[in-house]
Amino acid sequence: MDDDVRRPPSPPVPEVGPFRRGFWKSPLRGPWLASFLSSALLPLIVVCTLTGFLSHAAYNPGVGSNALFDEGVDLYFFEWPTGPTWLYALTQGLHIITGLAAIPILLAKLWAVIPQLFERPAVRSVAHALERLGLALLVGGTLFVFATGVLNIQIYYPFGFSFVPAHYFAAFIFLAGLTLHVVSKVGVMRAAFRERGVVRPLRDDLAHTEPEPELEGRHTTAPVAAAPPTMTRRLLLGTVGVGSAALAAMGIGQVVGGPLRRLALLAPRGENFGDGPNDFQVNKTAKAAGIPMEKVGADWRLTLEVGEKRTVLTRDELLGMEQVTADLPIACVEGWSTTQAWTGVRLSELARMAGAEEGAEMQVRSVQPAGVLRQATLTGDQVAAKDSLLALKVNGADLSLDHGFPARIIVPALPGVHNTKWVGKMVWA
Amino acid sequence: MRRFRYEYGASPVHLLVALTSFAVSAWALAQVLDVLSTPGRFLIWFLGAIVLHDLLFLPLYSLLGRVAAGALTRGDHPSRLRIAALNHLRIPVMLSGLMLLVWYPLVLSKAAAGFENTTGMSTDVYMERWLLLTAVLFVGSALLLAVRARGLREPR
Repeated sequence: MDDDVRRPPSPPVPEVGPFRRGFWKSPLRGPWLASFLSSALLPLIVVCTLTGFLSHAAYNPGVGSNALFDEGVDLYFFEWPTGPTWLYALTQGLHIITGLAAIPILLAKLWAVIPQLFERPAVRSVAHALERLGLALLVGGTLFVFATGVLNIQIYYPFGFSFVPAHYFAAFIFLAGLTLHVVSKVGVMRAAFRERGVVRPLRDDLAHTEPEPELEGRHTTAPVAAAPPTMTRRLLLGTVGVGSAALAAMGIGQVVGGPLRRLALLAPRGENFGDGPNDFQVNKTAKAAGIPMEKVGADWRLTLEVGEKRTVLTRDELLGMEQVTADLPIACVEGWSTTQAWTGVRLSELARMAGAEEGAEMQVRSVQPAGVLRQATLTGDQVAAKDSLLALKVNGADLSLDHGFPARIIVPALPGVHNTKWVGKMVWA
Repeated sequence: MRRFRYEYGASPVHLLVALTSFAVSAWALAQVLDVLSTPGRFLIWFLGAIVLHDLLFLPLYSLLGRVAAGALTRGDHPSRLRIAALNHLRIPVMLSGLMLLVWYPLVLSKAAAGFENTTGMSTDVYMERWLLLTAVLFVGSALLLAVRARGLREPR
C-alpha cells in the first residue's frame, strides 16, 4: 500500500553491489512479471493451504487420543465424513499436486522480486518496515513448508525435528505473512495489470521485449539499467509452466494410479507392482513397523473390549461371519492413493457382537509394539458406515503381512495411516 | 486519516492486518517451539532457508546464467542464432535442475535404506530416470535448435 503522502526520502546511503538498483540487469523483472506469477501462484497456494488444514481435520483430532496437540491448538471445525469414499484421496492428492505445481512458480517469483531484498532506503516508513518483517515470515514460512513437505513425501528426514507439528505451525506463520503481503501488494498488482494488461506482455516477441517501466509512485523491481533481452516473457513463463505441469503430472500419477501411475516418473509412489492381489503400494512394511512374527501367527486373536466385557475371536471365526466386499482407497497423507477390493467383517457387526453402545467411538490398537500411529480412534459414524470393514482379504486373497495380515481396518475417506494394520484389539469407550 | 497515512505510510487496515499477522506468527512460533523436542533446529531451518535461497542458491544460479550468457552472446548485438542457442541450453538446464531440486533425495538415494525399509521399494531407479529425462531434454532441445538454425541465420 504505497502512497504519495509520505515523508521525504532519507539521505542517500552509499550504494554498492546488489544495493545499487543498476546491479539488477534483467529486462524481464518488474511489477507485471511479479504480479503475473503471483496470480498463478495464489490459487495453487489457497488450495494447498485449505487441503492441508482439511487433512488435519481428517484425522478427527476431536475423538479418542487422535489429537496431536493440546485442546484449542488443533484447528478443525467438523467431524470428518465417511463419504464420498475418495474424499481424502482427493483433498490430500490436491494438497500434494498443488504444492508440487507451485514450486517452479514460487522460485520464479522469488527471482522476480529478489532486488527488493536489497532495496534502498531499507526502510521508508513504519508500514514499510512492518511489510519487510512480514516478508521474512512469508519467505521463511514458504521455503520451510515447501522444503519439509517435499522431503517428507520422499521419506527423507534430515531436519531433525518432528515433521507434523513443524509443518503445521509453520503453515500459520506462512499464512500470516502471506495475508499481510497480499494486503500490501494488491495495489501494485492492480496498477501493473491496468498499465500493461494481464496477458498483453506475453505477445511480445524478442524484438519487442522491452524492459518493464516503473509504475508511477510505486517502489518495484523494474530495472533502471536493463541489459538487452535474451528471452521473451512468454518463453520464461512457458518454461515455468512446463516445469509446473510436469510436477503436477507426477503428483496426479501417484493419486489416480492404474496406468497413470507411470506419470509419476520421479515421484516416490510411481512404481507399478506385479499383477498379484497384494501387489500395490505399502505405506509402511511389517519390517519397518517392527511387527513381531509370533503376534501375527496362528496364536493371533482379535479382542473386542467394552468396559469389563471381552470377546475374543480367532481369524477362522471372523472368516465364518458375514463377509462384505468394498472397493475403497488407501489414501496417504504423502499424496498417493490406491483403490482395492477389500473383504472382511463390518465394523458395525463387530460393535454389535461386542455389545457396544450404538454410535460409540472405538479405539483400534495394533500389535505393533511402538509408534504414535499403532492406535487410532474412529468416530461413531465411521464405525457405523456400511463399507467400514475389518478386512481379512484383499482382491480375493488373504492380506499379505505388509498389508496388515491377519486383519486391518479399512474405512471410507479415512486417512491411510488411520486404517490400522495388524489389528489386535478394538476398544469401545 | 491523512495524518495517519503520513505518519504510518499506509492505511489503518494495513496496520491492523500487520499486527494480526505478527500476533498469529508469534502464537504459532511459541506453540511449535514448545511442542518440538529440538526447537533450535526449527529456527535454524526457518532462517537457514531464507539465507540459503536468497544469498546462496539464487546468486549461484544467476551467476551460472550470466557466465553462460556471456560465453554464448558476446558483444552488443549477438546474432539471433546465438541467443537461440543460449535458450536451447538454459531451458533444459532449468527443467532438469528443477527436477533434481525437488526429487534429489530419491535421485541421489539420500535415505535409500529408510525408503526401502518403509515402502518395500528401492530408490535405485531414480538416478537412471532423472538422467534419462535430462538426456531427453538436452537432445530434444539440441535437435530443435538444429531444425531452427537455418531460419535463424537468415536476416530478419
